[in-house]
Amino acid sequence: MATLNLGGKEVEIDEDGFIQDPEVWDEDVAIDLAATEGVDELGEDHWKLVHYLRDYYLKFGIAPMIRKLCKETGFDLKYVYEMFPSGPAKGACKVAGLPKPTGCV
Amino acid sequence: MAKPKDTKLSLNDFGKPCDRLAHMNPENLMPMSRPLDCREPEWSPLKEETKEKYMASLDDTLVLNIPRPQSKREEQELVRKFLSGVEKLFQKNNNWTFLQPLVSTVEHCAKCQTCSDSCHIYESSGKHDMYRPTYRSEIFRRIYQDYIHPSGRYHKTWKNGGEIKLSWLTVARLGELSYRCNICRRCAQSCPIGADNSVVAREIRKVFSQELGIHTVELHDNGSMLQLKVGYSTGMNPEIVKDNIEFIDEDMSEKTGMKLETPWDKKGADILLIHNAGEIMAWPENIGAFTAIFQSAGLNWTMSSEALGYDNINYGLFYDDVQFARVVIKHFQCAQKLGVRKIVFGECGHATKAAMIIADRILTGDLNIPRESCFPLLKQLVEGGSLKLDPSSNNFPVTLHDPCNLVRLMGIVQPQRDVIKKICPKFREMTPHGVNNYCCGGGSGFAIHSGHNFEEWRFKISGRKKLSQILNAFSDCIEPETKKYVCAPCSNCKGQIRDILGHYNLWNDAGITYGGLVELIVNAMTDVKPNYIDWDEII
Repeated sequence: MATLNLGGKEVEIDEDGFIQDPEVWDEDVAIDLAATEGVDELGEDHWKLVHYLRDYYLKFGIAPMIRKLCKETGFDLKYVYEMFPSGPAKGACKVAGLPKPTGCV
Repeated sequence: MAKPKDTKLSLNDFGKPCDRLAHMNPENLMPMSRPLDCREPEWSPLKEETKEKYMASLDDTLVLNIPRPQSKREEQELVRKFLSGVEKLFQKNNNWTFLQPLVSTVEHCAKCQTCSDSCHIYESSGKHDMYRPTYRSEIFRRIYQDYIHPSGRYHKTWKNGGEIKLSWLTVARLGELSYRCNICRRCAQSCPIGADNSVVAREIRKVFSQELGIHTVELHDNGSMLQLKVGYSTGMNPEIVKDNIEFIDEDMSEKTGMKLETPWDKKGADILLIHNAGEIMAWPENIGAFTAIFQSAGLNWTMSSEALGYDNINYGLFYDDVQFARVVIKHFQCAQKLGVRKIVFGECGHATKAAMIIADRILTGDLNIPRESCFPLLKQLVEGGSLKLDPSSNNFPVTLHDPCNLVRLMGIVQPQRDVIKKICPKFREMTPHGVNNYCCGGGSGFAIHSGHNFEEWRFKISGRKKLSQILNAFSDCIEPETKKYVCAPCSNCKGQIRDILGHYNLWNDAGITYGGLVELIVNAMTDVKPNYIDWDEII
């Protein structure tokens, strides 16, 4: 497994750059993960989305439905893509420290 | 036109040690029409550490990730287990699923190449020899005949070498090559004698999975194994599914103005509806549309909240008979517990074929519950007058993708067309269509594979023909101002079409979007709020 220096620590990542152990995630890791996604600065709305995803994941063990994410954060999908150009699953979830989504989605 | 030199490959080269046996030169790829009538970029190279770790020398990509053997012993072990697995494929007691088509293909294929011309992967690649349906099969056939078949095996042990140089590299490349076929079986359809070269690809995958424990992470670890463990391959357990469906009911109630309520675990219902649960995560409008239609038509139906009972996926179909059987039995036990009269499968091709046809020999006695695709039922509802419909709501160009599993491989051709023709005034067929359709390029599970640069392969090669068909179907209105809809009534096809439209930016550049069949029905229903298909939401 490859490792990458994220937030000042060596973190295991998969081939698509998703971190493998959600436990190592913190905001410094998120900032560096965002940089790998071409997002140079995390504003208030970025953090709101990232924390929503992280909290949902810790509670349920998977990522939320995209529509649910939009409804519960109040951000429409276009705005989510503006914040994270590779989208909610590959972009925002990665920054929030979730593993890569699986299954027919 | 002469065949370009770099599309040629002889069978004898297959075991040759080299960095990359075949390169699909972007210059050679099948040309596309407007707005994609330009050259494709080069492939993103595989990383050096990837090549060190895995056998990555087949072509420009990698999906099966076979670890490179670390010793002579491991090399021999790989070959030995493979040969032993191939032997089992030809034994009645070890291959209850595909013995007959496998034997007839291996024994009778005349290598006439009619099938090559029918294969979208071969054509899209610019007719590279490696992607001929017969290339893979011929390597397999020679291994079988030289090392397994009674007339060959005692004369040519693998140490002495048969016609094909048998080495770990040959075996590993053949495994990887079994994942360059969508198993759409268009080749079998075109064969004058009914040989089925795609079944050979599927059976090679089976040997790798069942005998060597080598499968893709997407189909196995994160696929059928996760599904058997928690209930669904995204990791959604029953509690989360119920929560999500409750959310969809509320959300889609707002969208339709109906009061939608999904019935759960209703004993003795007429219908158990099993969706591909990927729809719940990625396409909730599809789930909501089914609920709106079933509820409006007053059907006596239910969903099951038991693990696997809400998810019709059965990835074993693509790579492993044992996993296949484990999953299908769970599906039918859920239906049996509820005592429903029949099972209806949502818009998912592989799951419908898996449960209706391939599982036929497993589902004996009480488990042999009547089951059907949703298409005939939808036709009955649309034509029967229980839904009030106004086709002018769907006054945009629509074309229909034929999911291979449902159409070519099950013969369900007409009901979905009858629905579309009734509610979509600007419907146009693709060329060719019906049982002669082309695969979306995501078939046999490829739509959920994206590791390394495999997505590029799905877009440039396996999805190329379908995309070309879509562009041609809309050639009279290709400008982005005219909004157009590709109806792809199968979850896997829908994922592939979403990804390929996104990759080539075709919503912005050509106004093409995609979705299922039921969304079009609800969009035409007059007693729900207008614009169920909401163009403003599409990105």
